[in-house]
Amino acid sequence: MTLALTGHAVARGIAIGRTHLSERNEIEIDEYRIDAAEVDKEIARYRSAVDAAGMQLNDVADRVTRSAGASAGEIIHTHVMMLSDSKIREATEKHIRTELCNAEWALQSQLEKILAEFRSMDDEYIRSRGDDVIQVVQLVQSKLSDEASDKPFENIPDRLAETLVIATELTPGELAILHERGVAGIVTEHGGPNSHVAILASSLGIPAVVGVRLAQSLLKEGETLVLDGRLGVVYADPDEAILEHYHQVQRDTARFKRSLEAVRDVPCSSIDGVSITLYCNGERNEELLQSVEHGAAGIGLYRTEFLYLRGMAPDEETQLETYRTAVEMLGGLPLTIRTLDLGADKTTGPIDFSQLPRSVNPALGLRAVRLCLRDTDLFKTQLRAILRASASGPVRCLIPMLTSVREVILVRSLLREAREELDQRKQPYDPDMLLGGMIEVPAAALAIEDFAPHLDFLSVGTNDLLQYALAADRVDEQVAHLYDLQHPGVVRLLRQIFSAADKARIPVAVCGEVAGDRRYTRLLLALGLREFSMHPARLLEVKQVITETHIPHARAALTHWLNEPAWPGDLPLLQILDRSQQTH
Amino acid sequence: MISREATIVNKLGLHARAATRLVNCASAFESEVWICKGEKRVNGKSIMGVLTLAAGQGTGLIIETDGPDEKSAINSLLGLIADFFGEGE
Repeated sequence: MTLALTGHAVARGIAIGRTHLSERNEIEIDEYRIDAAEVDKEIARYRSAVDAAGMQLNDVADRVTRSAGASAGEIIHTHVMMLSDSKIREATEKHIRTELCNAEWALQSQLEKILAEFRSMDDEYIRSRGDDVIQVVQLVQSKLSDEASDKPFENIPDRLAETLVIATELTPGELAILHERGVAGIVTEHGGPNSHVAILASSLGIPAVVGVRLAQSLLKEGETLVLDGRLGVVYADPDEAILEHYHQVQRDTARFKRSLEAVRDVPCSSIDGVSITLYCNGERNEELLQSVEHGAAGIGLYRTEFLYLRGMAPDEETQLETYRTAVEMLGGLPLTIRTLDLGADKTTGPIDFSQLPRSVNPALGLRAVRLCLRDTDLFKTQLRAILRASASGPVRCLIPMLTSVREVILVRSLLREAREELDQRKQPYDPDMLLGGMIEVPAAALAIEDFAPHLDFLSVGTNDLLQYALAADRVDEQVAHLYDLQHPGVVRLLRQIFSAADKARIPVAVCGEVAGDRRYTRLLLALGLREFSMHPARLLEVKQVITETHIPHARAALTHWLNEPAWPGDLPLLQILDRSQQTH
Repeated sequence: MISREATIVNKLGLHARAATRLVNCASAFESEVWICKGEKRVNGKSIMGVLTLAAGQGTGLIIETDGPDEKSAINSLLGLIADFFGEGE
């Protein structure tokens, strides 16, 4: 008979397989007094355990980052940070000195103090971090005790392909190992939706359900288990109907993935034969690699802000190093580097921070190119680095948040100065490096014909453009519903941008989130867009829609929609566009 | 000693990733860094301190820096917060 257990749905996905119940040995905490003479030795023992724990965590962080990217690894870096936090490190050492007790005991007392603070938090997310602290401390305790219980899973087979592991809880290290061994799914008794297990399993793409109390008592070793990661349910010993349903879901998912794969090597053209160029956005190296793998024509937006958020403004050599690495990773595909798009001054400079608006996004003040034109030393350092990188491969330069033509003219003259400086130093660069502008300010969007003679290409930043045009914050839940690409005003604005660009013979791409949202692909095509730049994970889906779109039909439907006043009962525009495809 | 106000603007507030970046940023400087939310004052270089501040979206904080590089420190921290800790466009 089917037994259904519920917990928190964590990582979407279905897993079907056999259970394996995993056990862990409890570590006993020794408590004893030491002599004053032994204090230094005890502290040394403690420090070396902390170092060993740190090494292990860093190793796990590296492995997880390699498998699943930097964001997955970050949660483990948080653990590493906790390890060196003064509340653990110094406080424990102090406790050893003042109480004359052993390291294990001191550490445990500190843990209890820290946990008390976390448990009093209202925010569930923060409370879950208390569990992280417990795990970090347990790792140190295991290093202090001589029983190396860092040999987890000795009794688990090397390959876990059709196995679901059931555990009380799992450390990041254990999760990394399970992932490497190809585990099909995970069920834990502890953990909430914000626990590190949940976050990591989700990043690693392992279907998981957490917080299934009594899972280890109720489930049997080796029985068939179906895990539904969307609903947060596991079915033990499922009957035929349930099993068949989930097998069907797995088949459908696989079929969808294959259909995307089929699109990978096909040319990117619409049904009526129009060729569309797909670029990707990125800033991290793994995004660059993913872009190449998915067949991107290049990087349409390479963000540089991360370089300026590390404590000090990056010097020219550091920037050059980063940009050059990116160019090399792309192996000949173009890299479009966007200059600093922030509202902060990182070094000297007369910019006073109290000028920054306190309100939420978007800042209407001194940011992006406006800031750069004020702090020309900062700006030219970046321009020189970008120019020098262009000697290693195709590079384009993109200026964010353009408002006036005068700004473009000033940028061009600074670029000229930068080139002259490089000539004096005898450092090579591409003299024909293209300069583009981001269109995000509505006034600029309505003046494309004035900008076009001064720029080589355009990129529409729809995220901010829509916020400015609709005067609505897409992150504010109370007004986010107003942020809508289907608003007739927005539709007309975009149509105007694309047709003005076409008339002026200047290439234009969209690099905002809508470019990667398959629901809007047909609308953008109907409006006249021919170049998209998106997150690499979205590329194949968008390409699929493009290959299934007949643009003239979509355009005819769009024109009709724009000329008719809208009535509340009407079909939404996106649906009208989809329907326009069905008659053929 | 420099003291400035800042509002947490990103959607998830000072959750683990943002807190990690904040502490990383603060720890790069020699100066002392303190972060205050109402009555509560925590060491900006302590991940546990920053996490237990539980500063959600919209929370107003006061950042204090004190030391030889206090100006760079305050600018970097304010910049990080204003840039949503690098999340989103």
